[in-house]
Amino acid sequence: MDTVSTVTPPAATSATTLDAARLTTREINAALRALPDGSAVTITEPRGRHNLAVGLVNRIGITIDGNAGYFIGGLGDGPDITVNGFTGWGVGENLMSGNIRIKGSVSQSAAASAHGGTVVVEGDASLRAGISLKGGTLAIAGDAGNLAGFMAQAGTILIGGDAGEALGDSLYETTIYVAGRIASLGADARRTDLTEDDVIAVKRLCDKAGFDHIDPQNITKVTSARELYHFTTHHASSY
Amino acid sequence: MCGIAGLTLQDASLEPELGALLAGMLVALGERGPDSAGVAIYRDNGQLTVTKEVGGPAEVCARFAIAAERGYQGVGHTRMATESAVTRAHCHPFTPAEGVCVVHNGSFSNHATVRRRLERDGIAFDSDNDSEVAARYIAQRLARGDDLKQALTAMAGVLDGFYTLLVTTPTEFAVHRDPFACKPAVIAQTDGYIAMASEYRALTGLPGIKDAKVFEPTGLHAWTR
Repeated sequence: MDTVSTVTPPAATSATTLDAARLTTREINAALRALPDGSAVTITEPRGRHNLAVGLVNRIGITIDGNAGYFIGGLGDGPDITVNGFTGWGVGENLMSGNIRIKGSVSQSAAASAHGGTVVVEGDASLRAGISLKGGTLAIAGDAGNLAGFMAQAGTILIGGDAGEALGDSLYETTIYVAGRIASLGADARRTDLTEDDVIAVKRLCDKAGFDHIDPQNITKVTSARELYHFTTHHASSY
Repeated sequence: MCGIAGLTLQDASLEPELGALLAGMLVALGERGPDSAGVAIYRDNGQLTVTKEVGGPAEVCARFAIAAERGYQGVGHTRMATESAVTRAHCHPFTPAEGVCVVHNGSFSNHATVRRRLERDGIAFDSDNDSEVAARYIAQRLARGDDLKQALTAMAGVLDGFYTLLVTTPTEFAVHRDPFACKPAVIAQTDGYIAMASEYRALTGLPGIKDAKVFEPTGLHAWTR
């Protein structure tokens, strides 16, 4: 854990490389924060480091060249981030805007509580992908683990492969699209008829994500049955 | 939290480096558990050596020269105590039977109930650590004829809670996670080894890691040498 309280970030240029093997996480994030909009930067040797590129509000392009750790790009409100590898838990957690593309797989809780922006996973996502999503977009090319979309409130989740158990458990108003099989639906999640608007939405999302293996006409749509999150006296005996 | 690291070698040329590789993995997980650390080393002569002590993994590994150890399989644990005391008896790894080694990240909610059942069967405990209950239960199943997979599957039906477990015997290396998988695990496989750690950053010092097959296991994964 970093203990440095004040740091002098490395000088920023329009094209910068930051070597994670030589810099603390705090130094890297301070350097990223100091970059002007339009900058491009590459972080090398991430070696599973946590908390890279978090809390940034500048519109910069960041490439993380390797496998990264937890909370990559979390709280972001502007940058576009590409990870040439996989990430640990909570990539894009609480994302506000911007794009994060992970070229490998991601561990748990991808895009958790994301209010905006887009997280694209070119591999698989582990459990609880899109948990408590609040308006952001999560596109997964491969499979998603159990409890994807748990308590998700707004936004869109696209799963290009199969979904695990309890998909959309306690779902609010997020829409979930699944191209593959669904192991099971969670409480209050239900399959819903696909509309023309859904097909267009999936096609646009696939185009943006670069997914060419998904047939937008052949998707399962999952939304909330809305029977769980309103208290009604009719269900009083259930509580 | 707590951190787990395990390494089983297929490439015998790495055996002189086992201790150094395992110590590197464990020290990288130091933030996950500052209270105590422990290492188990399986040697070619059939000997299993367990070293564990109160203190962080860097301190414990340096004090007992873990980096100098050689062997074909090793297990490490760094503990953040949440439910029982910080003493040597409470440290992982637990060795509930000859050659069996258990480390755990998580917590069991019904460990006291299972402990009482085991004690009625005549099984003695070294500590009141919940992880030791899992270790003793697994050993009881193995003693009754289960293989390691069967014992771990049975444990999942009896012990309630969160767990990532790494369980080893002289010939087996098994990772088991509960279905909610709240406690992390990453596995890296190459032709030379199978490595498991709580976090990927603990694996980055292993030879050939850039070309390893790296994945997050769910459920039960077991390998036999």
